Amino acid sequence: MLVNKKNFLTLLGIVAAAVSIMIDSGCKKSFLDPQPQGVLPAVQLYKDETGATQGINAIYSQLGAWAETAFPALAIESMGGDEVQKGSTSGDSPAIGYYHSFTQTGAENGFDNTFWNGIYAEISLCSQAVDSIPLINMDATLRARYVAEAKFVRAYQYFRLVRAYGDVPLRLHYPKTAADFNIPRTPKAQVWAQIEQDLNDAASVLPQSYSASDLGRATKGAAWALHAKVAMYEGKWADVLTYTNDVIGEGIYSLFPDFEKSFRIANENNSEEIFEIQNVNSYTNTNATYSQYSQVQGVAPAAGWGFNVPTQTLVNAFETGDPRLNATILFAGSTSAEGDAIPALGSGHVDTMYNYKSYVPFADAILYNNPGADQDVRVIRYSDVLLMNAEANNNQGNTTAALASLEKVRARARAGNNSILPPVTTTDKTQLQLAIWHERQVELAMESDRFFDVVRQGRGVQLFGNRGFKAGKNELQPIPTDEITLSGGIVKQNPGY
Amino acid sequence: MKRIFTISGFVLLCLFVVNIAFAQNVTLHGKVTDAATGETLIGVSVIAKGTQLGTQTDVNGAFTLQAPSGSTLVVSYVGYTSQEVVANAGTTISVKLVQAANGLNEVVVVGYGTQKKVDVTGSITTVKGADLAVQPDNNAVSALQGKVAGVQITNSGTPGTSPQITIRGVGTIFGNQSPLFVVDGVWYNDISFVNPNDIESMSVLKDASSEAIYGLQAANGVVIITTKKGSGAAKVHYDGYVGYSNPTNVPKMANGTEYATMVNELNGSLNGAALTFANPSSFGTGTDWLHLLLHDAFTQNHNISVSGGSDKSSYYFSAGYFQQNGNVEYNKYDRITVQMNQDVQIGKILKIGYKSILSGDHSRDLPGGIMYKAYTAPPIVPVRYADGTYGDPGDFPVGNAVSNPQATLDYFNQTTQNYDFNGSAYAELKLAPFLTFRSSFGGTFIHQEVQNYDPVYQATKGQFNSISTLSRDNEDTRNWIQENTLTFDKTFDHAHHVTVLAGFSSQRLKSYSESAEAKDVPNYNTGDDYFSLGDNPTLSDGGNLETRESYFGRVSYSYKDTYLLNATLRRDGSSDFTGSNKWGTFPSIGAGWVISNEDFMKNQTVFDNLKLRGSWGEAGNGAVGATTGRAVATNFVSNLGGGTNTQIGEGLLQIAPPQLYWEKSVGTDAGLEGSLLKGRLTFEIDYYIKKTENAIFPVPIVGSLGANGGTLNANQATYQNKGWEFSAGWQDHIGKDFSYSVDGNFSVNNNKVLSVVSGNIPLYGGGGAAGGNLTNRTIVGQPIGEFYGYQVVGIFQNQDQVNAAKSYEPNAQVGDVIWGNNGQKTDIGNPNPKYIYGFNTTFKYKNVDLRVDISGVGKVSLYNGNEDTRFGEENWTENFYQNRWHGAGTSNTTPSPFLSDAANGAPNSFYVENGSYLRIRNINLGYNFSSSLISNLGMSNLRLYVSGQNIATFTKYKGFNPEVLASGADNQGIDTGVVPIYAIFNIGLNATFK
Repeated sequence: MLVNKKNFLTLLGIVAAAVSIMIDSGCKKSFLDPQPQGVLPAVQLYKDETGATQGINAIYSQLGAWAETAFPALAIESMGGDEVQKGSTSGDSPAIGYYHSFTQTGAENGFDNTFWNGIYAEISLCSQAVDSIPLINMDATLRARYVAEAKFVRAYQYFRLVRAYGDVPLRLHYPKTAADFNIPRTPKAQVWAQIEQDLNDAASVLPQSYSASDLGRATKGAAWALHAKVAMYEGKWADVLTYTNDVIGEGIYSLFPDFEKSFRIANENNSEEIFEIQNVNSYTNTNATYSQYSQVQGVAPAAGWGFNVPTQTLVNAFETGDPRLNATILFAGSTSAEGDAIPALGSGHVDTMYNYKSYVPFADAILYNNPGADQDVRVIRYSDVLLMNAEANNNQGNTTAALASLEKVRARARAGNNSILPPVTTTDKTQLQLAIWHERQVELAMESDRFFDVVRQGRGVQLFGNRGFKAGKNELQPIPTDEITLSGGIVKQNPGY
Repeated sequence: MKRIFTISGFVLLCLFVVNIAFAQNVTLHGKVTDAATGETLIGVSVIAKGTQLGTQTDVNGAFTLQAPSGSTLVVSYVGYTSQEVVANAGTTISVKLVQAANGLNEVVVVGYGTQKKVDVTGSITTVKGADLAVQPDNNAVSALQGKVAGVQITNSGTPGTSPQITIRGVGTIFGNQSPLFVVDGVWYNDISFVNPNDIESMSVLKDASSEAIYGLQAANGVVIITTKKGSGAAKVHYDGYVGYSNPTNVPKMANGTEYATMVNELNGSLNGAALTFANPSSFGTGTDWLHLLLHDAFTQNHNISVSGGSDKSSYYFSAGYFQQNGNVEYNKYDRITVQMNQDVQIGKILKIGYKSILSGDHSRDLPGGIMYKAYTAPPIVPVRYADGTYGDPGDFPVGNAVSNPQATLDYFNQTTQNYDFNGSAYAELKLAPFLTFRSSFGGTFIHQEVQNYDPVYQATKGQFNSISTLSRDNEDTRNWIQENTLTFDKTFDHAHHVTVLAGFSSQRLKSYSESAEAKDVPNYNTGDDYFSLGDNPTLSDGGNLETRESYFGRVSYSYKDTYLLNATLRRDGSSDFTGSNKWGTFPSIGAGWVISNEDFMKNQTVFDNLKLRGSWGEAGNGAVGATTGRAVATNFVSNLGGGTNTQIGEGLLQIAPPQLYWEKSVGTDAGLEGSLLKGRLTFEIDYYIKKTENAIFPVPIVGSLGANGGTLNANQATYQNKGWEFSAGWQDHIGKDFSYSVDGNFSVNNNKVLSVVSGNIPLYGGGGAAGGNLTNRTIVGQPIGEFYGYQVVGIFQNQDQVNAAKSYEPNAQVGDVIWGNNGQKTDIGNPNPKYIYGFNTTFKYKNVDLRVDISGVGKVSLYNGNEDTRFGEENWTENFYQNRWHGAGTSNTTPSPFLSDAANGAPNSFYVENGSYLRIRNINLGYNFSSSLISNLGMSNLRLYVSGQNIATFTKYKGFNPEVLASGADNQGIDTGVVPIYAIFNIGLNATFK
């Protein structure tokens, strides 16, 4: 085939033109720089008021996560107590039981590390909001409130950490430089101080209450109540008294008359709820704020998995006739107040008792994939504040005030039946303290308060020693061994592990 | 896209016009044989010179052609020197073709062109389409198993699922892990849309110097697929088979009595605890769930093609239908493919062509993990009770983690449909005899639709749904690639052959998906279901957009086909990287010495050909995902305001790496290849070192950083695959009627991690088994993703032993495995296979032919996660029952049934098994009807055959299938309920009409 010179040059010109057109289309500067699709690049977050709102929404959503409300949280925060045992069959997730026999090592995959990582994820979301929102040009009142809400949640998360682990790495900013990547544990005094600082900041800004559409947000009362609890764990009784009196003084909280009904979905955010994690069994499953809190404790197999179930020790703790017994424990073979027949032991059922407080009636529980996903988690109730107030008053020598606060809790439980739960009358400081501690045990049973409460009271060996609790070791959980490994040893283990 | 449709419409018209030729023709007969061996040659092209009349020889080497008497016939065949003979009516022409010098004038497909095999300096293995289509695989990659040294194919037992292919060991672990498939110049990650019957050849580029011209996506190897083109007179070809598949290597599970006995032991019967089942033998054999769910299934495949062509134009049109029912009830897959292509020479300098492949497939899907569910289902639970209701594990004290898998299957309604349109068009300008410009544009449009309807039901206490849900995911993928190349090809002084290629390419890959869901949607048996008739319809969407831009070139030089030099350079930009890391450069060089062409070899007669070659090159992995190097927000839904109120939240739960740059595959290859004894013996030996530098890994980071996955994607590890490949073949004939060939290949690969940025801190992976514990580790000096756990040194026979180990096994009990090494984890197995081999034979006696293929993998470990994924009373295998510990002295190797506790449940060597296997991959026995019998039927070829695929697999592995698909090298080798591989037995027919 021959092409003469002229034709050849013409063709070459055509080729050159074709190539240049293609190169031109391809070489546009933007061609190799497309936007990430369908996701917000980090730099697009917290740009405006909408961004601030979404950042705060994320914080509340994460509160219901698996790590914060289900297996990991129950293993770390509940299983050490004498009110619960593992539940389900012996072969089913035996590692949860190790937290009950105090044989956990920090290497229980899916528990230690999941709880730790989940709490820190929440803290990171809070710190992003605390650092970013003040820079946004938006309504100043809302801006201040959002920052205060984020600080409240951050304080709550650090409280959970320091209570479980003692010293923990204190992170207050999204990591920016390599130096931020690996830091050692911060002395707990410093962490407590930061928690108090955040709560003071929050309480000074947060409103007493919200309109219906904002239910579930942190309030001034929530910040004070949590601050009281923080102070109680620090042994600062004067502060406990101050903050509980602040909450009581608000005059907006009261005990819900029906103890059992106060835990049902219909009565969420009732008059005694000071802070409650809002859960919904959302139709859209993507990162929805549904929680498996109810499912993992639910009646197996129809409404859950039957973990974290009550013990005989807890049954025995209730005074004769205390209606709270049958509102706290769902007995196999009984019928619930909502009309569900709880299958009797035998057949497929291995648990004799279930947590009634997390129970969702079967008709509501079996909606779709995740039974009971819309059950809210009660974080702080008014009765807790009253009992802290009683304990602080007793500690400070205000016996009458202590008895009065205690009686409010017992009176509600009594529900008008004066033949049961007689008022406590002792004025002996030690006896009264024991009575208050007992009241906490039955009033706050199955709410992940017992283990830490007993440890705080210094009664760990006395009450849990039979299960292997060792003084100087089991007051704290082991740091996840993964965390120690990944830090290259910069993060150190707790004593005894 | 629109333009391509227009072109194809035009060309379709041409198709019916061009090849209807009329002449005063007579029938010419002939036969073509190998001049040296006398073997008949099949598929030899016979064309009457100067006309468009042509044909191919049949299985007996015979041809008949309608052409004018006295025509000059051009007889040509790959690997042989063409001959011209004059044919007259009435005589049978005998053509003896001589193998082309050293058999090496054969042309090999290389990146952006072809090269004479003698000029190739890299390691490229080509498999003919005919050798692939003979196997009943719907994906041509499956059929490569055992055919190419150094290439591992891992097949799935689920029809329609693409196999995994690993070339010379693990290439990359992040992002796209499959090799690059180049189908007629267009790039793909998956070729499940290509009908194997339409494939002319598959070339596997194994060394980095061959791959480097594809730069940015070649780190895992390149497979170039050339589809069929038409030639000669119009002919119609049919290939088809019908048969059935039969699940193989199904594990035998414990029966009802054995199961109940083990549950008792699990719950402490040996320690005097109350018996969970007072009388285990009352359950008898119980339900054999695996055999209940698995059954033989029908399969069929039909392909018809029309093709033809002349030196001016050629066309190929084919349609195929493939159907395979799954071995699990309800599961089925079918696919229709249509392929059209045409090339037309316009004038003397312009050639244009197009190709289109349309494919549509439909599958009724399997519920996730159904094999694991069947494996674990308690045999004491009946499928159904006497009253017809489902047997309910909830009626037995067996926990809530087990289910009735039949109910799961019965209520699972999910279908997946894919519609693929792949089109490409090119124009080639012959600017001068030595200079060619080629411009091509190829595009892919894929629409995928996955629909799931979850009805209202209450099958068992734990398997129910109280609100029906309809969900539908639609995903559209639109990719295009345009490439322009200029090729200079000239021989100077009859000695210096120079080829220079320069090119530019750009690509855009885009996908967008929408997922909709609604509750309480009325379900119709016919037509579509509508979200708008349901409650709370919701929509979510997502997408991906990536772009690439590339410049590349190659220089090839050969001096008298004796001294060879090839060099390539490619520069790629990928949108997956940011800033100055966007661009990567990939060079390569190769050299060869054809010893047999030297003067001093002229007088020897042993070697027909002997070549020594060596090469070095770099390839990259630029497809790591659009968001890997960037931090993006996580989407949340909050419930402020209580009730059913929801709000959208956005927050950052990940940490972006400080920077992310190209990972590179750097390879060195040395090879010796040759043929001896007049082509009867061929061999090829390669030694290679392939390094993956700065591989991107998800690196675990401290949890207190608050990153949700606890990982950060970063350039982490450099690792190496090093090994040998041996291939040899022998072909000969005994007498006139019997011919045979024997080919074997064997490869040895060793994988080792050379460096890890995080130093002594290992990278962990796995988590699919062992209660979520990580079972795989990557650490310097060891193979990538090796199994990591406790080395079992025995079973605790008594409490004293348990107490002695308290310091490192605090939660152990009698009957648990004893961790060796004082409770320190160690490497417990290597999931990277060391040996891969294949053995392929053909025999032909008169009209009968037989083909037997064997393939295997040796020295590899698998983690039997079926046994180690436990939440309570899951069933055990019969083998476990026989060997288990059930009292002091009963076993020192197999633990008690309490497999979920801390000692047994942690990753340990009890679950690591030998994953080696040897498989009789294919036996195919055919009968070829002689042309005299069938020519009256208008046929030139008719072959009937029976075939068996995967007839037997010999393995010690106790799970379903020693072929375990991996989700990445850091997670590999974990079996958590793969669908068993199946054997296929079929009868088939190949026929050519003309």
